[in-house]
Amino acid sequence: MFNQFGSTAETLSKASAVVNRIGTDAHLYDDPEDVNIAPLLDSKFESEKCEALKRLLALIAQGFDVSNFFPQVVKNVASHSSEVKKLVYLYLLHYAERRPNEALLSINYFQKDLGDPNPLVRAWALRTMAGIRLHVIAPLALAAVGKCARDPAVYVRKCAANALPKLHDLRLEEHAPAIDELVGILLADHSPGVVGAAAAAFTSICPNNFKLIGKSYKKLCQILPDVEEWGQILLIGTLLRYVVARHGLVRESLMLSSHGLDNNGFYEKDGLVIDLTLDKRDGDKSDSFDANLVSLVSKCYIEGPDEYLSRSNCPDTVSSAFDSKETTSISHNEDVKILLQCTSPLLWSNNSAVVLAAAGAQWIMAPLEDVKKIVKPLLFLLRSSTASKYVVLCNILVFAKAAPSLFAPHFEDFFICSSDAYQVKAHKLEMLSLIANTSSISSILREFEDYIKDPDRRFAADTVAAIGLCAKRLSTIPTTCLDGLLALVRQESFAGDLESVDGDAGVLVQAVMSIQTIIELDPLCHEKVIIQLFRSLDSIKVAAARATIIWMVGVYCSLGHIIPKMLTTVTKYLAWSFKSEASETKLQILNTSAKVLISAEVDDFQMLKRIVVYVLELGESDLSYDVRDRTRFLKKLLSCKLAETAEDSVASQENIAEHVVEHVFGRKLKPFSPLTPQNRFYLPGSLSQIVLHAAPGYEPLPKPCSFVFEEHDQLSDSDRQREATAGLHGSQESSETVDEDGSSEYDSESSNGSDFSSDVDDRTISNDANDPLIQISEVAVSTDQEELRSKRALDMWLDEQPSTSNQSSSALDRNQSSYAKISIGDIGSRVKPKSYTLLDPGSGSGLKVDYTFLSEFSTVSPLHVCVEVLFENGSTEPILEVNLEDEEAAKVSDSAEQTLVGKANVFHNNVPTLIPMEEIGCLEPRQSAKRLIQVRFHHHLLPMRLTLQYNGKKVPVKLRPDLGYLVKPFSMSVEEFLATESRLPGMFEYSRRCSFADHIEDSRMENGKDKFLSICESITLKVLSNSNLYLVSVDLPVANTLEVVTGLRLRFSSKILSSEIPLLITITVEGKCTEVLNLTVKINCEETVFGLNLLNRIANFMVEPSS
Amino acid sequence: MLQCIFLLSDSGEVMLEKQLTGHRVDRSICAWFWDQSISQGDSFKSLPVIASPTHYLFQIVRDGITFLACSQVEMPPLMAIEFLWRVADVLSDYLGGLNEDLVKDNFIIVYELLDEMIDNGFPLTTEPSILREMIAPPNLVSKMLSVVTGNASNVSDTLPSGTGSCVPWRPTDPKYSSNEVYVDLVEEMDAIVNRDAELVKCEIYGEVQMSSQLTGFPDLTLSFANPSVLEDMRFHPCVRFRPWESHQVLSFVPPDGQFKLMSYRVKKLKNTPLYVKPQITSDSGICRVSVLVGIRSDPGKTIESITLSFQLPHCVSSADLSSNHGTITILSNMTCTWTIGRIPKDKTPCLSGTLALETGLERLHVFPTFKLGFKIMGIALSGLRIEKLDLKTLPPRLYKGFRAQTRAGEFDVRL
Repeated sequence: MFNQFGSTAETLSKASAVVNRIGTDAHLYDDPEDVNIAPLLDSKFESEKCEALKRLLALIAQGFDVSNFFPQVVKNVASHSSEVKKLVYLYLLHYAERRPNEALLSINYFQKDLGDPNPLVRAWALRTMAGIRLHVIAPLALAAVGKCARDPAVYVRKCAANALPKLHDLRLEEHAPAIDELVGILLADHSPGVVGAAAAAFTSICPNNFKLIGKSYKKLCQILPDVEEWGQILLIGTLLRYVVARHGLVRESLMLSSHGLDNNGFYEKDGLVIDLTLDKRDGDKSDSFDANLVSLVSKCYIEGPDEYLSRSNCPDTVSSAFDSKETTSISHNEDVKILLQCTSPLLWSNNSAVVLAAAGAQWIMAPLEDVKKIVKPLLFLLRSSTASKYVVLCNILVFAKAAPSLFAPHFEDFFICSSDAYQVKAHKLEMLSLIANTSSISSILREFEDYIKDPDRRFAADTVAAIGLCAKRLSTIPTTCLDGLLALVRQESFAGDLESVDGDAGVLVQAVMSIQTIIELDPLCHEKVIIQLFRSLDSIKVAAARATIIWMVGVYCSLGHIIPKMLTTVTKYLAWSFKSEASETKLQILNTSAKVLISAEVDDFQMLKRIVVYVLELGESDLSYDVRDRTRFLKKLLSCKLAETAEDSVASQENIAEHVVEHVFGRKLKPFSPLTPQNRFYLPGSLSQIVLHAAPGYEPLPKPCSFVFEEHDQLSDSDRQREATAGLHGSQESSETVDEDGSSEYDSESSNGSDFSSDVDDRTISNDANDPLIQISEVAVSTDQEELRSKRALDMWLDEQPSTSNQSSSALDRNQSSYAKISIGDIGSRVKPKSYTLLDPGSGSGLKVDYTFLSEFSTVSPLHVCVEVLFENGSTEPILEVNLEDEEAAKVSDSAEQTLVGKANVFHNNVPTLIPMEEIGCLEPRQSAKRLIQVRFHHHLLPMRLTLQYNGKKVPVKLRPDLGYLVKPFSMSVEEFLATESRLPGMFEYSRRCSFADHIEDSRMENGKDKFLSICESITLKVLSNSNLYLVSVDLPVANTLEVVTGLRLRFSSKILSSEIPLLITITVEGKCTEVLNLTVKINCEETVFGLNLLNRIANFMVEPSS
Repeated sequence: MLQCIFLLSDSGEVMLEKQLTGHRVDRSICAWFWDQSISQGDSFKSLPVIASPTHYLFQIVRDGITFLACSQVEMPPLMAIEFLWRVADVLSDYLGGLNEDLVKDNFIIVYELLDEMIDNGFPLTTEPSILREMIAPPNLVSKMLSVVTGNASNVSDTLPSGTGSCVPWRPTDPKYSSNEVYVDLVEEMDAIVNRDAELVKCEIYGEVQMSSQLTGFPDLTLSFANPSVLEDMRFHPCVRFRPWESHQVLSFVPPDGQFKLMSYRVKKLKNTPLYVKPQITSDSGICRVSVLVGIRSDPGKTIESITLSFQLPHCVSSADLSSNHGTITILSNMTCTWTIGRIPKDKTPCLSGTLALETGLERLHVFPTFKLGFKIMGIALSGLRIEKLDLKTLPPRLYKGFRAQTRAGEFDVRL
């Protein structure tokens, strides 16, 4: 290595290049696969893991799919090295959605990390967990976000706000209210960093939920300058939308200025002193802004251009002004005032997006005389990067279209630099032609003269077009412009003589068209110009330019005195040159000759007729079929004209063909419509304004005053929020419920899946009234809620114990003042475990195999589940040697699962996954046989692959695990149950709602029996038929009416087979006896993934009708 | 919000992709983008917002590297563009420049930075001081360490304190033995001289750049002697708006190290330090060119590194140019650069020579624009003067320094 530092310069430079790359990851990017990555991932050294992960990322960066390493990468999530963790997270987020099952394996580590004392670890875990995008873990992630939204670290709260859109993106309908609540909580945060992220979440989740903004509007405005720049951009938009929805547009603003004049009376009525501004406006209104366009712009902002333009086809709706009730006045409205005050300093922001957003808010809301303060900051943005320059220009153009006077004094800022990109140049030209006025036009024209000589001919052509536009707008300059343009035409046509550069042709065409637009304004004045153009036909060689001039011959053929006299000569010339023209020009010649013929005077008619006939003959035999078609069409149309003599033409006016011809060719030009086709306006600063169509997710401003803010809402809102807080926390509520329940007397009955204790009993009514303590604390909550909440948040982190005081009480609990306790009779005999099909007779040539999970304990190990397999021969021939074997016994099973499961229970690893059954020697037709197998599932969701042997054949079958049987009953008393439950709050508690209808049939059948009891029975039956649980207790509400069962609560307990972790299930019932009941199933378990899956399973089977 | 960020090399190779949300963007979009930019040329490349068939694309180009961001929904386009600029700034700060090799060699750092800077398509931490604490920039020491020990994590274990503070741009409690503050006025002169040799527009774009190494939590105020010349300004987030609004004083808690405190604009200047007198006459296919450059109004300091560059028109087939001072280079893309350096005392630099036009062309009808470059140390041509810089609580030893310089920005002289 050191030999390289030789004497020659070459080796030195080589060496320095090597030195530069030492220590970087260059070799990893260049050659990521030069070593075997898999063993590195399993290495026990952090540095090797790190290297392997870097290699994987290099492959990702280069676009290779390395998702096959997923299982090995996932288990490294447990690493303690922050770098490994970071790299694993990067990898996980890239592939999680594709490998959901394996991704689930990492959840427990996230859960662990979420409780880490290091805020960075918590934030990373939260970001990754929310980013994994799996529906299964959404409730978990939501709970995590809820917890982190109250984290003491700002950074974690900020990440929580960022995580909300991720959850929202999963389209979880049932969690939408909870997400909205969280947005509200984060918006009310006192740290500006969090508020910014919350504003972003608000924009993407619930942009129209103005209630959330209304609560803290003033605070949001005050905090706005301290929010970081990215948050400011979105927060400004949000506040603007809120003010429009709440108060409507501002009467004094530019948006409504066009209506202001019609509504003069209404100012007086309000008694406002706006006369000053009004007078000023009256004076130079026509000059300062385009009233039509302004109202169009404001309508577009409110309704969105697509709706507005489609609606405006019916003229009567266009004129409908904004209802005066939907507007507000700046002098009266505090909210508007604050918005304007807090956004105006942001015009000085370093971030161009913030400046534009602030300018947009001022543009829409500020009173007319204040709008001008957005001009300079906007113009300053033109000194930033090319990319932002372009976007800003697009927006300034809209402002300038509506109010050219704002930008008119600053025309120099739009002068073109040689380094501008073409699009920027084009926009600047458009801008200049928009804002040019009598005082600035001379300097602008002088600039334009320079531009015409620019080497970029496309830009020069655009300049010529801009000159035309300027001349059209300003009545004083056309003559000067025309002279210049004519000179240009002469010069260009001369240059074009020698060399036909595409760009130059463009300039010439544009020049002719600009002249045409100017002439159009007042053809009579410019008769001489027209004649000059006709004369220049000889020298102009560019087809498009010729076509335009020839078209003008047709249009202005009867204008003035001189032109009609020239017509014969010109037409003769055209006929003569017809053969050598391009087809574009030929078509124009045909049209023009027809027009000339129509308007011909009597003297020339015969002559012209002959020329036209000649042209038509030429046209008929043209090479281009377009020209031939046009010729035939014209010939037919003109047949009457061509047939008649000069005298007839006056006489036969009645002829209908005459009228048609007259109508087609004799029509004069329509006056130019002021509205150019480009009149789609979108909100300033939006993407839609740049691409000129409504991008998905674009929303115009809300309808003015569509949001009614009710004062009493505020109260109920805070109530609701508190409830949500409590609900999300879970811990307080449940622990409190526990206390209440615990104080009553129970004599619970115990049951165990297979045999029920049969102590039938009656109800003992416990009479515990509302605890007075609770009421006191409730008062505390409502008065000093803020403080308590933050304290609770801290509590959550400092000790995970349930809080000691009952701070809140839920509505549910207040309803249930008393409980009774029951036992259920022997229903063990009625428990019918569900059976599943392993092999249906169709694919098994008559052999049907079903299996049922048994609640018995396995004799081999606690991890095994007993499954009863029922073989039935449906065919007519006997089936021999039936057996079930583990398919994977021989193969190496998936290493990841093996290791991960194995970690938890190493000592079981040598136990086979399948305890085989006794082989069935022969199964006669219609005979059936039962066999018992014991299975150990690798994962609670993944099916087990088995091989079914019969008649010497091997058929692969899948044995699907039933989650309900991967637990075992765990007998405990109610007190123990409640104690365990209180240790598993927050993250470890999740619930789901479902409906239940089994009892309806049941209770009708056994009319004599108590309805409550039968409901209990049917629920218990349902649960125990589908899972292996222990019934701890049943709480009955003693309600006023016997029909209402709301408050009925069943508790089941169990342990997860594989890990011996206790799992508690609580089912709470709502509804009436005779109707479909609503159940809330709640699970408390440390193993959250398993718990969630079981929860879903329970919710599913509760809904299923019983077989 | 943004869905994906791609980094493309100047040959169109995708160097890096970072998916930001669950809606993955296939990298085939880059192939589409590159095809378009080849077929449509420069005007496409300079388009920052593109509506592709499947996504909206935002692009910026920095030092040959194209940063491409994709979105499918409405979002403020400037936010995406500003963010990409910020990413480019941070990367070139970390890697000490920006080019294909640097990005590839340090791709892990790029990934880590991107992951920290944006979360779910919304910017998360963009403050350089915080980022530096979270992810250590590669330097010689860490590189060597990683070679020797084979293991040097550049990811910090702890959350930077700045994330929670109300001044996120400043790390809490930096310590320096010597407290130093330097203020630089860096100005650029934008001017347009039209074909009649009139000064159409002349203005200054300036920046107040600071370098602060101060212990603790300093509160600075900076005031100008003549703030009224400022036409317009933009501030670093640390500047408080109130004091500026009321009496034009900059009051702020500075970030640590180098930063741009404010940028400003001074309009309607009357004079330029240099003049350029170009002349072109063309006749029968030959153009005679002569360009004079000289001092118009002496700023009192030396004008350095004067350059004049222009694009030869396409219709020029060959050029024969010489000068009495400095060197002339003509690149293959017809860009001609005349490097003058300083104006000599004894003569006026003059470029002269002939251009041969393509056959058939009698005379030139398009004319090039000359771009002037220069640098003057020690003076701010806008006339803006700093009055004083105060620190609320004075540390024992404080060094203050002020400097100024002016250089040419967009200085166009049309012919």
